[in-house]
Amino acid sequence: MNYATKMLRKYPPANYGFPMFKRLAASLLTLSLVASLAACSSSKIDGDSLVIYSGRAEEYTGTLFEDFTRETGIKLDIRYGDSAALAAQILEEGDNSPADLFISQDAGALGAVSSEGLLATLDDAILNRVNEYFRSQNKDWVGLTGRVRILAYSPKRVTVLPRTVDDLTKPEWKGRLGIAPTNASFQAFVTAMIQTRGEVETEKWLRGIAANSPKYFEKNSLIVEAIDAGEIDAGLVNHYYIYEVAEELGREIDVKNSFFAPGDIGNLINASGIAILATSKKTEPAEKLIQFLLSDTAQQFFVDDVNEYSAVDSSQSPGELIPLSDIKAPRVDLAALKDLKRTQSLLIKVGLL
Amino acid sequence: MNLLAVKQPPSGLTPNPRTSPVLISAALISLGFVALPLVYLIGRALQGDIESVRIVVFRAKTLEVFTTTVSLVVLVAGLATFLGSALAWTLQSIDLPRRNLIRALVILPIAIPSYVFTYCWLSLGILPDGFLAAVVVLTLSTTPYVTLAAMAALRRIDSSQVDVAHTLGLNQFQIFLRVTLPQMRNALAAGALLVSLYVLSDFGAVSLLGVDTFTRTIQNTYQGSFDRSSAAVLALMLVALSGIVISLEVSSRKKTQVTRSSVSITKQIEPIDSLKARIIAISLLSTYILAALIAPMSVLLFRFFARPKPIDLLGLSQAAFSTILVAAIGALIALLLALPIALLALRASLIGKVAERGVLLVNALPGVVMGLALVAFGSDFPMIYQTVGLLGVAYAILFLARSVGTIRTSLARVPENLTEIAATLGQSKARIFYRVTLPLAAPGVLSGTLLVLLSAMKELPATLMLRPTGFETLATEMWSNTAIFRFSEAAPYALLLVIIAAIPTFLISRPDRQESTEPMRDEI
Repeated sequence: MNYATKMLRKYPPANYGFPMFKRLAASLLTLSLVASLAACSSSKIDGDSLVIYSGRAEEYTGTLFEDFTRETGIKLDIRYGDSAALAAQILEEGDNSPADLFISQDAGALGAVSSEGLLATLDDAILNRVNEYFRSQNKDWVGLTGRVRILAYSPKRVTVLPRTVDDLTKPEWKGRLGIAPTNASFQAFVTAMIQTRGEVETEKWLRGIAANSPKYFEKNSLIVEAIDAGEIDAGLVNHYYIYEVAEELGREIDVKNSFFAPGDIGNLINASGIAILATSKKTEPAEKLIQFLLSDTAQQFFVDDVNEYSAVDSSQSPGELIPLSDIKAPRVDLAALKDLKRTQSLLIKVGLL
Repeated sequence: MNLLAVKQPPSGLTPNPRTSPVLISAALISLGFVALPLVYLIGRALQGDIESVRIVVFRAKTLEVFTTTVSLVVLVAGLATFLGSALAWTLQSIDLPRRNLIRALVILPIAIPSYVFTYCWLSLGILPDGFLAAVVVLTLSTTPYVTLAAMAALRRIDSSQVDVAHTLGLNQFQIFLRVTLPQMRNALAAGALLVSLYVLSDFGAVSLLGVDTFTRTIQNTYQGSFDRSSAAVLALMLVALSGIVISLEVSSRKKTQVTRSSVSITKQIEPIDSLKARIIAISLLSTYILAALIAPMSVLLFRFFARPKPIDLLGLSQAAFSTILVAAIGALIALLLALPIALLALRASLIGKVAERGVLLVNALPGVVMGLALVAFGSDFPMIYQTVGLLGVAYAILFLARSVGTIRTSLARVPENLTEIAATLGQSKARIFYRVTLPLAAPGVLSGTLLVLLSAMKELPATLMLRPTGFETLATEMWSNTAIFRFSEAAPYALLLVIIAAIPTFLISRPDRQESTEPMRDEI
């Protein structure tokens, strides 16, 4: 026995030192072996299944995907994520994307992928199935559901409802409004305003809003919660947030939806949508899935269970809301909602970003 | 655990042996991995359309973001260092019942992901939004990084110095200032550095509290405009900022020459047992534990019991298994990457030094940047893309900074004469490393690796992009519930994540027994 070994015997290192270290190393190794085996057997998507990048949460598609697999025998591998992050991921993957389909919560993310030429042209049967408003001009994505901008307000504290978004720049709204300027839905709304009113008018409106010292939030849901908590009186959000917040809190909330006057840009209709990737080699099953999601049953589910508007039948409306055909939202090119650069520089200019 | 603290003296006894080419190539591989995200960022930044990059970078907001980020880092690092050293000193120097348990509880807050921590504090309703709230939340959740470093440094202080100071008539406070603190300095600086990098890369807390730091701005740039070049430019600005922080730490290091031999007399400091000291100690410790552990955990438990649906046991256990698995792979890869870097850094080799700095730089990057970097490189290789292996690599690169320093320090403290003796006995270098150096350094190597394991378990943005399709971890399950406002349904996942993360945390917090069994080696 050499001296060093003797020393080690005499003064053993930490109690949980080397033996434990070896054990840990061994268990880490075993785990990674198991993992690579598991990865080989399960995660390597088998050739037949469709890979979907979904920005729409699992909860919002319910059992639709399972129903589809049961009906058609086509297996689905779904990767859930944030719409914008998934769009960035698809852009980064470029021609190597393993995805066959991209489902997004808003038109902007689809537009961004479309403008890089990464989406396949859709079949006319699919394009014609949806309301004209929900077709991309490049013919490479369609809307699945409509999501409408509204004013969420406290019925107790707001007695005179604004007729147009311009009313919100008046002095009586000082300190009472909540907005989410970093949020995609707000930016889409500003983009639409630039499209319809021009940059000068939009800047004027933004400056008016900023001068009214609104409260800034990260998310639409936080605006609705703040209205319920009495921190603010109203906020610019999408129509379904009051349902979601009520469901999460498990109680009625003191917040209601209000549309602006017909034709006002405050009523912008945005879309969640779906597209097939240009690199996908499974166009036929992918088209089947889109047709399935645009079927009457699926669209009914979106209206009844997720409180969104149907992309197919504009007479349907969720809850007590008025149907899409009565909102008289301004005509906006949804595909152009991806053009956020101008919007962002404008928001930066007026100090909202 | 002494992070990055001990400056290794140039080896005086042995002529510096030629570094083996195996080690150099291993370190170069590590360096290559670390460089990946930086190469990606530079590439993306260069592709940018100059006009839109100009708009994003040269806006008034950038200065504001810069100021916010810097003030947040300075305040949090300062407060965490103060609090962490106070907690560590209290635990080490005052005779308290159940010290090991308290030690574990004081470290446990690092098991809570920052988004969970912040969410819980927000639902308590006593915290205002904004900058101050971020300072409070981030200080509370990062203090353990300093506490750990400070405790390890304190254990190494020879009590005879304290005794001498006593006889010279210094009181406890003066002793702390003039004897103890100078010897903790390097460890505290290293702890403060980890805290700073944590704050720079944090997204969870700042996004929930609406504080515009670089990381949040980068995220918003991806989200809002899909403009990857401007985001890359912002990320490079963040890298530059972390470079400044790192060089500050390096230049603040006191050039202490710690030569370790197996002959050392380190008497542990006798704990103080006055009643007054105990009362102060207990109130300090319990205030911290209340704010950083009990407050967030009780919100989580409340949410857990208030959830409307029964727990999905199968989903929960699968997610738990996946979390442990992929985090363990990440930790293992981190260990393999860290060892050559630490060994070379010890020999003051250029590659080692560069790699060590690079590791720290990368630690300040937001997870989303790391995710996209590995998407960009990985998607070219369908065999490895979106596998747990690649995700493990991402974790390893992201969190290597949390282990390299510890590993280097513990390797540095291996008594030189033991390796020399082994060498004279004709043992090969590889064998000496395996039989002498590694066993002696094991506790530190283990702590560092466990810290990577812990951080990997909590990681979210890179996990979302790089996990195999359909593979869910506790963090992703939690995310998919909170993304649609199902906070109560996220609670079981969050709770289980904290419980699982508590295991490595507990192991890390255990006193480094090597040192407590070390004192009486004077009979050699």
